[in-house]
Amino acid sequence: MASPVNPEGSRPVTELPSAEASEAVHGHEVSEGTTEVAAHGGEGGGLPQFRVEYWGGQIIWLLILFTILYALLSRVFIPRLRAALDQRENTISGALIAARAVQAEADAQAEAARAEVAEARARASRTATDAKAAVEAERSRRATAEEAKLSQYLAQAEDRIRTGRDQAMTNVRQIAVETAEVLTEKLSGRPAASDEITTALAAQGSR
Amino acid sequence: MADPIHQFEVSKIVDLPDIPIGGGRTIDMAFTNSTLAMTVAAGLIVLLMAVVTAKPAVVPGRVQSVGEMLFGIVDNLTHNLIGPEGRAFSPFVLTLFLFILAMNMLGLFLVFTATSQLAVTAALGVMTILLVIGVGFARHGLGFLKLFVPSGVPWPVLFLVVPIEVVAFLLRPVTLALRLFGNMMGGHVALKVFAGFVVSLGGLAAGGGLGWLGIPGAALALSGVVALTALEFLVAFLQAFVFAVLTTIYLNDVVNIGHH
Repeated sequence: MASPVNPEGSRPVTELPSAEASEAVHGHEVSEGTTEVAAHGGEGGGLPQFRVEYWGGQIIWLLILFTILYALLSRVFIPRLRAALDQRENTISGALIAARAVQAEADAQAEAARAEVAEARARASRTATDAKAAVEAERSRRATAEEAKLSQYLAQAEDRIRTGRDQAMTNVRQIAVETAEVLTEKLSGRPAASDEITTALAAQGSR
Repeated sequence: MADPIHQFEVSKIVDLPDIPIGGGRTIDMAFTNSTLAMTVAAGLIVLLMAVVTAKPAVVPGRVQSVGEMLFGIVDNLTHNLIGPEGRAFSPFVLTLFLFILAMNMLGLFLVFTATSQLAVTAALGVMTILLVIGVGFARHGLGFLKLFVPSGVPWPVLFLVVPIEVVAFLLRPVTLALRLFGNMMGGHVALKVFAGFVVSLGGLAAGGGLGWLGIPGAALALSGVVALTALEFLVAFLQAFVFAVLTTIYLNDVVNIGHH
């Protein structure tokens, strides 16, 4: 690469041996391209970039490569990139839409569940109310029946009492009649008329 | 110590037949180290893009992310600066950007930087401005010339303004070319000079005696080289990006004439 050690002063000229040697091989170029030669000699080497003998080649190679690169990028790679980016965008928006749908479904399900729970609760409370009412009805029915039975017993008992009393009263009257007959007989010596006694007793009883 | 300019020397690798261009003049089509650097750069881009787009995954891997990021930079650039029509220019700007970036980066790994050749940067600059002019005439016909006539300027002033605008427009490719060329060449010369200090100061130290004083200097120069190399990576990316941005801005000027 670098030429061997050069004296400082002459370096710029002697630094370019390979290029000049190759130019020398291309003898016709050097002799015909007078401007190049002038540039060479005049600047004493100067910056290699200002030596124009390689400009044409570099520019044409650059244009060729640029054209190839542009064609490949614009025809092949950029469409592929855009497709990939679009696909990503679609995937993301699709996922978002799906997520939103799932969210909505979950909301609906939650709503349905809530409604179901409310309905179940209503049904349960209704059942409880019904049961309570049924129990209440049964209880009152039984109470009524019991009461009826009791009052029947009561009535029978009262009947019995009344019968007994009436009987007793009759017995008492009978006893009174007999007593009155005996007393009357003893006192008067003759049997008393039972109907008189009865009348007297009735008068007595009514007093 | 190697000459810091030597790295810009173009040398032939394979001599190909010259192309005559009339008038007895020819174009030397030799395959040079410059051509080699350009070809490797282009090949690397194709390789990268082939890998990136070979099996595009919805969730990108590392290489795919890099490729999509580079494309995204340019695509967003054209879209944001030019508008919806800008996407049409994405391929051109992306080619420019990737090609310059690859040539710049290769210069930091290999021995030759194609973008430190004025021929290369000038060709890129001229190509860009020719595209700008072509797009301008294709879209607006002669209305393209309104680019040089700013609106809202009183007509007597136009005699002064229009030539300035024309000159400014024609200087665009020159500035494009010289900016890239100057940045790349300057960086590499500075790197080489600092690296040369390391060697020469080290040689001084190896000479014995008071030469050991050269060691701190060599260390300083070495750290300078390391720092400059890091800087050069930034510059390599930045200059490619700047070239792409300016190209997009120039395209925007002619696509949306009168909107700026």
